[in-house]
Amino acid sequence: MTIRLTRRMLSLFGLAAGLALAGTALAQAQTTLRIFTGGQQRPDVMRQIVDGYMQRNPGVKVEVEVGGATSEQQQQYLNTVLASKDSALDLILIDVIRPAQWAAAQWAEPLDAYLGAERDAVMARYLPAYRAANIVNGKVIALPYFADAQFLYYRKDLLEKHGVAPPKTWDELKAGAQRILAAENAPNLRGFETAGAPIEGTVCTYLVPMWGAGEDLTKDGKLNLSGDAAKKPFQLWADLKEAKVTPPNLAEIPTDRIRQNLQAGNLIFGMTWGYVWNRAQNDADSTVKDKIGVVPLPGFTADRQSTCIGGWQVAVSAFSKNKAEAAKLARYLSSPEVSKQQAVLASHLPVFAEVYGDADVLKANPWFAQALPVVQAARSRPVTPRYTEVSEIMRTNMNAFLAGTKTADQALADMNTRLGAIFR
Amino acid sequence: MTLLKNRRAMVILAGLIVAANGFFPAVWILFTSFKTEVELMKVPITIIPQAPTIENYIRVFVDQPILRFLFNSVVVATLSTLLCVVCSALAAYALVRLRLPGAGIILSVLLAIAMFPLISMMVPLFQVMRDLGLLNTWWALIFPHAVLSMPVCTLVLISFFQDIPRDLENAAMIDGCTRLGALWHVVIPLTAPGVFTAGILAFVNSWDEFLLALTLSPRVASRTLPVGITLYQGEFSFPWPIISAALIVAIVPICIVIAIFQERVVSGLTSGGMKG
Amino acid sequence: MSDAIRHKLTPLEKSERRLGFAMLAPAFLLLAAVVLYPIAELIRNSFHFNHLAQPWMGTPFVGFENYVKALGDDRFHEAVWHTVLYILVTVPGAVVVGLGLALLANKPFAIKWPVRLGLLLPWALPLVFAGLIFRWFFEYNQGVANAILRGLGFEPLNWLTTPSLAFFAICLAIIWKSSSFVALVLLAGLQTIPKSFYEAAEVDGATKWQQFREITLPMLRPAIFVALIFRTITAIQTFDIPYAMTNGGPGNSTETLAMYIHKTTVDFLDLGYGSALAVLMFIVSALITSIYLRHTRRDPGRH
Repeated sequence: MTIRLTRRMLSLFGLAAGLALAGTALAQAQTTLRIFTGGQQRPDVMRQIVDGYMQRNPGVKVEVEVGGATSEQQQQYLNTVLASKDSALDLILIDVIRPAQWAAAQWAEPLDAYLGAERDAVMARYLPAYRAANIVNGKVIALPYFADAQFLYYRKDLLEKHGVAPPKTWDELKAGAQRILAAENAPNLRGFETAGAPIEGTVCTYLVPMWGAGEDLTKDGKLNLSGDAAKKPFQLWADLKEAKVTPPNLAEIPTDRIRQNLQAGNLIFGMTWGYVWNRAQNDADSTVKDKIGVVPLPGFTADRQSTCIGGWQVAVSAFSKNKAEAAKLARYLSSPEVSKQQAVLASHLPVFAEVYGDADVLKANPWFAQALPVVQAARSRPVTPRYTEVSEIMRTNMNAFLAGTKTADQALADMNTRLGAIFR
Repeated sequence: MTLLKNRRAMVILAGLIVAANGFFPAVWILFTSFKTEVELMKVPITIIPQAPTIENYIRVFVDQPILRFLFNSVVVATLSTLLCVVCSALAAYALVRLRLPGAGIILSVLLAIAMFPLISMMVPLFQVMRDLGLLNTWWALIFPHAVLSMPVCTLVLISFFQDIPRDLENAAMIDGCTRLGALWHVVIPLTAPGVFTAGILAFVNSWDEFLLALTLSPRVASRTLPVGITLYQGEFSFPWPIISAALIVAIVPICIVIAIFQERVVSGLTSGGMKG
Repeated sequence: MSDAIRHKLTPLEKSERRLGFAMLAPAFLLLAAVVLYPIAELIRNSFHFNHLAQPWMGTPFVGFENYVKALGDDRFHEAVWHTVLYILVTVPGAVVVGLGLALLANKPFAIKWPVRLGLLLPWALPLVFAGLIFRWFFEYNQGVANAILRGLGFEPLNWLTTPSLAFFAICLAIIWKSSSFVALVLLAGLQTIPKSFYEAAEVDGATKWQQFREITLPMLRPAIFVALIFRTITAIQTFDIPYAMTNGGPGNSTETLAMYIHKTTVDFLDLGYGSALAVLMFIVSALITSIYLRHTRRDPGRH
């Protein structure tokens, strides 16, 4: 009797001690990381990904914080938090246009030390454009999470019906659109749309034709707006407007209106980002299921097609209190495994060339096969710490030109003076 | 007889004009909330939904915890209104009645606060709330929202208090009321429409406010409706039908509550005032 | 009255004064806790170079450099001009429409709630969304405005990408949204006018118009002034509606001062220059308000 009692007491004691020990061990190892993502970067998929990470790393708890939906809203919030040097966020998803700005503001913790000897090997695996975008002045500022680029979407059924091949040049696009518009004679059908409202996407509306003409906004760090290539974008869009291929309201078109018009069957060609195919194919109310094709954007010549790079990166906040753990998570989020997971679950374009050929990925997104060369050839918007100002100057002038309130010469002159003050 | 009829018709017409002016965008949102996105893109546009769907309302409740946001908004707006009206009423009364030296300057300082553009003060405001440990709590919004509405409330109350004859208070004070007692029992009931207007002003200012809410209280537990509703939109996409449904869910209950509440409170307070 | 102030204070006056300051205390405590530091920071920043995108430049004291820069900044001048135009159109516009709505809403209705709701709805709709809804109304293809034009046999207009039309559309949206605030303040004023005034006027044979001119307008004056001054202050800070409807476009042709300040501080991270612009905006608002206050300073002991 006494023995039994003692034994039971002992085992109880042991159990309690064990629990207590386990408890303290847990409490010691538990690190909480908070990652900030926009509403559009599929926070639901991000949650699945970090759930997997937490299972494998029981000492780490990851919270996903969803911020404002648009890049601008996120930036408003992030600018406030980071300007206050607040430590609440450990990891942050940032737009591909931001690393230079974040490096300059010293908001992102350089990751070189955390990558250690593997740094070069790790960076070499990414698509070249993403490797370049995330290394600023020799330092790794962020790691790529998913890729994006602008494509030409077209109505397969309409092009086939009228014997038009997917265009490789802007002239082919113009001729094809005119032919279809004339033959269909549908009052609501429009030929071609791209972003024209004063928003970020409109920067690419200027840059893509400029790149197509073989030049870039800057050359050797100096502004490069004096040549003929700088006039090309204005000429191209004026030409398409003249030909009634673009609608009269191009200057009020924001990015998503292109998808909506495409999905409602009102548009033949649209120049927009990688998220559209999946929506057109899978949305319940889409009228164009199986009717949408994706090809690289046209060029002035068939051999020089160019496009704008997009996509999101994981940065570690310079004010985080758990930088080492955060860097580990960042590496995981930027791994081929997660890239594949995102491609299958969210149709996010991978940042590794080999993932594009993966059977599961292609099963979910057949068009990814054609997407790889486009993403590989995609170019970066100007890399400068004052990118937001640069972007604002370009988009407002492009918008004013499309609205007809400025001539090409006026817009170009204004861009020259104002951009000149930044690229001194 | 015809005169009476005419008058009634005029009254109804007046009501229709006011209602139509206020309702037309709401009705448009209501219709949109039952449309599919493809129908919305149709040209020529449709007014009445052709194939009504309640899918948008389902998405509203499934995609985001909208009832939580609604609750947060109600709490923040109610408490900031109370705080604002109490502070403003005390200040307004002191400025109108208590012969303070430099009352004009004090009023100017109070008003000046409203004239600093908030957008340029977000960073230091964030730091204040962080140092007070209030970020991501209701209080991070209650205090600034009360400050936001204080100038307008004070001014509204001053203009109403000025119209109350001194004799009424003096009589009450001779009957043994204190100053505060006179304010509570005589002045407030007589200026009920003014007090209530100040309250509604403060309430709706808080209800509408977006920028502070986005920055000072972004997390789900304390997130308010205007911020919550923007989360239905995407980086590129703006799903009007779903956002319309969310706006209907957000607006309708609050309008009904305010409309009913206003009748009750105004009539209750004024009749109380008559008796007193 | 003024003699009484110079008198030695009676114990009653002394205690009243003490009570008065005590009653002001909650309001000022709240202000001190929330906005004192931000305002001090704002003023301090305006005299420093502080560009978060260029932290290697430090934050040196630059005196009035930011202010001088503003004087020569074309975009600032344009933004000020646009803001002035918005004030000149939307303040009187909102007060006139608001007065109309208040008079209509003050009629003796059998069922009051639809009218009240109609008065409140524009206001209960968060500003951001009001702007987006009006943007949709004025869209080229899917907008109600062009649908009406097409229905009447006219060519559709590019409302939001033609500067003058965009200005008109934005003003309409602002007036719609803000007139309900004005109407609410004026309605409260109307309700405090004793019915007996009108009855007496009726007996004297005054017409409706005379009653409006001789009773309603004078009695409403304080309420109208409250509405005017606040509409003016908010009009100076016009931001959300043009932001949502045109984002300042086409080009910068509908950009307001508040939008430019927002861009400078939040997007460009130029806190120094942005703060200077904000201080300039404050000075303008303060001037307008002080003119108003001087105009309405009245004898508190009337009646």
